[in-house]
Amino acid sequence: MAARVSSLRRPAAPTSRTQLAIALLMLAALAPLPTLGLEIYWQGVVITSLYYAMLATNWNLLAGYTGLFSLAPAGFAMLGAYVTALLWTYAGVSPLIGIPSGAIVCAVVGLIIGILTLRLSGPYLALTTLALAEILRVIALNSFDITRGEIGLEVPALFSHQSSYYYMFIVAVGCLLIGLHWLLGKPCGLYLRAIRNDETGARARGVRTVFWKVFAFTISSGFCGLAGALFAHYVIIVSPSIGHLLVTGLVMSMVVLGGMGTLLGPLVGALLVNVSSEYLRAAGDYQHIVFPIIVIVFARFCREGLVGRIAMMFNARAGVNAARGSRTTEVLASS
Amino acid sequence: MLSSMLVSGLITGTFYALMALGLTMIFGVLRIVNFAHGEFYMIGGFAYVLLYHSLGVPIVAALPAAVVAGAALGWVVERLLIRPVYAEMGARQQGRDEYAIIVTFALSILLIAAMTKIVGPWSLQGPRLIDGPPLLIAGIRVSPHQLAALGIALFFLLGTLYLLNYSLWGRQIRAVAQNRSAAAVMGVDVGKVSTIVFATAGGLAALAGALLSNMISPSPDVGAFPAIKSYVIIVLGGLGSPLGALIGGLLLGVIENLGAIYISFSYRDTYGLVLLVVILLVRPNGLFGEMRREV
Repeated sequence: MAARVSSLRRPAAPTSRTQLAIALLMLAALAPLPTLGLEIYWQGVVITSLYYAMLATNWNLLAGYTGLFSLAPAGFAMLGAYVTALLWTYAGVSPLIGIPSGAIVCAVVGLIIGILTLRLSGPYLALTTLALAEILRVIALNSFDITRGEIGLEVPALFSHQSSYYYMFIVAVGCLLIGLHWLLGKPCGLYLRAIRNDETGARARGVRTVFWKVFAFTISSGFCGLAGALFAHYVIIVSPSIGHLLVTGLVMSMVVLGGMGTLLGPLVGALLVNVSSEYLRAAGDYQHIVFPIIVIVFARFCREGLVGRIAMMFNARAGVNAARGSRTTEVLASS
Repeated sequence: MLSSMLVSGLITGTFYALMALGLTMIFGVLRIVNFAHGEFYMIGGFAYVLLYHSLGVPIVAALPAAVVAGAALGWVVERLLIRPVYAEMGARQQGRDEYAIIVTFALSILLIAAMTKIVGPWSLQGPRLIDGPPLLIAGIRVSPHQLAALGIALFFLLGTLYLLNYSLWGRQIRAVAQNRSAAAVMGVDVGKVSTIVFATAGGLAALAGALLSNMISPSPDVGAFPAIKSYVIIVLGGLGSPLGALIGGLLLGVIENLGAIYISFSYRDTYGLVLLVVILLVRPNGLFGEMRREV
């Protein structure tokens, strides 16, 4: 029983600077790899991982820090990608305007869905986002005249070299993590975590829970749209497959594996899942079987995830030292 | 034209209600949404089609076998994966919701991927229950197969509602849905009730999948839309309300069919989302939902 109770607790310092520092060090370590001769193929794997890391970080802001469950991170990424693709195809709008527009459209849709569903307590957000994601995908598939269905829309590339995309995504993930760390250090970060831990209690203490839940969902949707729009200009083709529920499943497994409610978890999870996906795909497309099983096992037995578990081990050691210290002072006081 | 569309909407709605009824019962008893509900539907469809085509099992046996397969899957899922939810029942709602959403969603992807691995990504058409030329009933053309499927669906739908209202098990299920701890104090085995509800829900969804396998050929991802529609229906009818699931299912079937003629056929799957948004705006507790009180 004691084990179960402790597994429910979050690691003590979820926004610790250490985690941000480790994440930035990891990104810094990835940065020089193209110049050191990382193959184009593996550069692509890292770029995809970083794109997923953006989605996973945004999903983590909701699930890990605010306790909201959206099933549309991939849906919003697809929406963001289609906004920039449609603007380019039908109005000739440059991607420099198209990409931010994608983010803004997603944020507005997120705001509307958030206002509709987050006033209510219950599973309404998950139900509505699931319906939204699938229905957006079907609209994109069926509106052949506008979106060319499964074939997809072509969009222009931003750079001529793949390594430029590589640096762009490293910078994007770095900025996102720094921004999230900054946000969570503000009072707003405390409100979000208060909502996650005990929504009724937070409301009783005067936190405007609905406002902050809608706020978190809106920015998370916006950034998912941004990630999708950026990724669209890397893959150069925008098709409904960007928004498939399997993508949402992968995002979820990255966060659960890495650690919900930890700053570093989604990045670690995204790299682990994507790199191992390469091998599982080569072995015969087992990734969508293996990762759901890992997710179920982690959700059952290790809900704090890899990073959370390691953080707990460090915290426990620190706790032991603190206890030893206090005993020393007790001994000193009694003597 | 209008009356025939109304009738065909009610027919579709009956199958929707069959799925939504199980989903809303699970929500009533466990306060969680089963995001793998569409995969129960898919398993039922495949069990029926594969038993008939690959093993040559006659239809009379394949249909019950499909229901049993769905119920068995529901039983196993509840026993292995949903049990930990009770440990956190009442203690910490956040942890329970988190666990339930993550696990059922992962299960849904796992079942789709596993089925794709086993039978391939193609769709397989199911056999008809009865062969024969279409009948004209009150100016509406229906095939004998559709009539038989509708009859079986209605029988199970009304049978489940009857049992829910008048049998001892039904009373226990409603007691647990109303107040879990009070029901436990009164001697109801809440764990057993939850298992039975999950198995029933799995069986009903599998039945829908098998009955519709002739009209909508099962493929590994066939369950996505029936599931999304049942999510819309349970919100429309009120989360946890069996009567709401029935009325909501029929209503969605009719609205989709009317929308298909008067607005656009190819976007008929999207009307559910529009309906969902309208309910959330106008009557978030659904048609038959009760205000949830918080303590």
